[in-house]
Amino acid sequence: MQLYDIIFYLFALITLASALIVVSSKNIVYSAFSLLFTFFGVAGIYVLLNADFIAVVQLIVYVGGILILIIFGVMLTSKITDVQIKSESIQILPATIAVGIFAGILTASLLKTDWRVAFPASHDQTIFTIGRQLITGYVLPFELAGIVLLIALIGSVMIARKERS
Amino acid sequence: MDLTYIWNSLTYFQAEIALSIVFVLLLLLDLFFKKTKYLLPIVSVIGFAVVGYFIFSTPTSDALIFGTRENPNLGMVVVDNFALFFKIIILLSTTFTVLFSISSKEIVGSGEFHGEYYVLLAGMTLGMFIMVSTVDLLLMYLAIEMVSISSYILAGFTRKVSRSSEASLKYIIFGAVASGTMLYGISILYGIAGSTNIYAINAILSYGNVSTLTMVFAGLLIITGLGFKISMAPFHFWTPDVYEGAPITITGLLSVASKAAGFAILIRFLKISFVDVTATNFQSSSWVIFDFFDWTEIIAILSVLTMTLGNLAALWQDNLKRMLAYSSIAHAGYMLMGVVIIDNNGLIAVLIYFFIYLFMNLGAFFVLMLISDKIGSEEMDDFNGLGYKAPLLCVSFTIFLISLTGIPPTAGFIGKLYLFSALIQTNWIWLAVVGVINSVISLYYYVRVVRNMFLKESSTGEVQIPLSWLNVALVIILLAPTLILGIYFQPLVEYAQKSVMILGF
Repeated sequence: MQLYDIIFYLFALITLASALIVVSSKNIVYSAFSLLFTFFGVAGIYVLLNADFIAVVQLIVYVGGILILIIFGVMLTSKITDVQIKSESIQILPATIAVGIFAGILTASLLKTDWRVAFPASHDQTIFTIGRQLITGYVLPFELAGIVLLIALIGSVMIARKERS
Repeated sequence: MDLTYIWNSLTYFQAEIALSIVFVLLLLLDLFFKKTKYLLPIVSVIGFAVVGYFIFSTPTSDALIFGTRENPNLGMVVVDNFALFFKIIILLSTTFTVLFSISSKEIVGSGEFHGEYYVLLAGMTLGMFIMVSTVDLLLMYLAIEMVSISSYILAGFTRKVSRSSEASLKYIIFGAVASGTMLYGISILYGIAGSTNIYAINAILSYGNVSTLTMVFAGLLIITGLGFKISMAPFHFWTPDVYEGAPITITGLLSVASKAAGFAILIRFLKISFVDVTATNFQSSSWVIFDFFDWTEIIAILSVLTMTLGNLAALWQDNLKRMLAYSSIAHAGYMLMGVVIIDNNGLIAVLIYFFIYLFMNLGAFFVLMLISDKIGSEEMDDFNGLGYKAPLLCVSFTIFLISLTGIPPTAGFIGKLYLFSALIQTNWIWLAVVGVINSVISLYYYVRVVRNMFLKESSTGEVQIPLSWLNVALVIILLAPTLILGIYFQPLVEYAQKSVMILGF
């Protein structure tokens, strides 16, 4: 096992363990904080894949933006500690069976499949290529993503805003 | 850097560009002319008419557009007659929805969010246009999200009504799970093929040497995500609640346009990805699929489940909106039978069925909206004896329901006829029998409404349902094809035969 593999498994372990805490913790503040480590672990894997730009974006947008917002939202919501927030697990047995089958199929297909492997090539910088692709080959998804985000923005404003009467 | 290939792509993309302009225009108009309520629907209809012009003026020569610089011919969006046919269906149903909304109590009385409604409708239409014409998994996901996010918001549009908010929330939760599942399938498929373009995926799969288990798993996950959009059993649980809670105009749109887009993308994905073009007995009219992923059996079972569950649940409904929701699940099951056949006759039957379904289903929802806006209820018992108080509406409602059952001389019969005969030609006899039995079951709950309207004594007092000229005109416009296509359907069949060509196959 090389150093590269060890680092990968380390990051994967951080991601999985903290993700488990996110879904299983009964305290919503704990969940929010362990989400930090999940995002961090994923960013580490991006770095290992030589995707420097994606890793930085992951840190800035998810950790710096979204997570901080979530934590602020949790902490600033008045009386959040008084209100009983439901985060209990129900239907544990059927869920375990379903997840078990799913995991079994996933493991089997992981081992049996002849995956197409692209060895991570080392680039000086990926931003140049990404930027160029976004305005040439991927210009349509790029522009459409703008419209999708605009729709989501309008929708969230509609849901959140109080109706003036 | 040579960018002419993007410029060339844009000439095939005029309708979508026009639609984006309509989207932004509506947003700006809403900002500056908040007070004039009639402006936005009128601008929407004019905008959709312009989009319609561009749909037909765009050259229909088969082409793949928006490729990369290295590979300009392997584009993300396809221009073919199949996409054109579905674009017509989507644009027609969106235009009808806007016209319905003008007189809908729920929409007009919605207060200050009136403008956003039309903006989101335009955005949803754009998403559906991309859905029916994309051949790239990435764009497929993006387009589905575009449609989904707009429909989540539109389903919960009347926020004062609690069941509407409940519908929206349920829709978001189910939808998020379905998108996640589909994305997982896409990532596995990408891991096998190394490309997101389904033509490239097909080429790689035809080399063989693919793990069957992984392929079936990825295919099923993607079918789950797409099946959610067309409310295929067992992923249909959201449908009754969302259809009942959403404003009726949106329910109509979800049951026709959004379903059409879902079917188009499902058919295109299955056909392009899993048809073996290298097979020796390959013909373009009947598809030979890869033997390692025989999805016809899976779809056949799912279609039987869908129509049976939909019809049996519809039997017990007393709320008409909920009943029509279950009936639309059943219709998705009928149309899935056409996908099972895997040849062009089956596909022609699906196209014919969809075109007819557009008019009869929207018609049923529109009449239901007009009546329930006045009597303030969608319950079956409140329709007692209504046939003599509002004869025009109730007679047309009856015709739409008879057409949904599939009894001659209405158009619904022609749709079912082509579907069942295509099944029998390809020896799917048992499936055709199940389909016929289901149609008979559906007769019971459709006719129950008719019986209540005409044969039962009215329990309520005098009800007056005044109709504006626009509403009368709309009812007649929807009624005409439902009756005429039942007798004179040759042009539709010929047009469907022309539209069945999917690029490359």
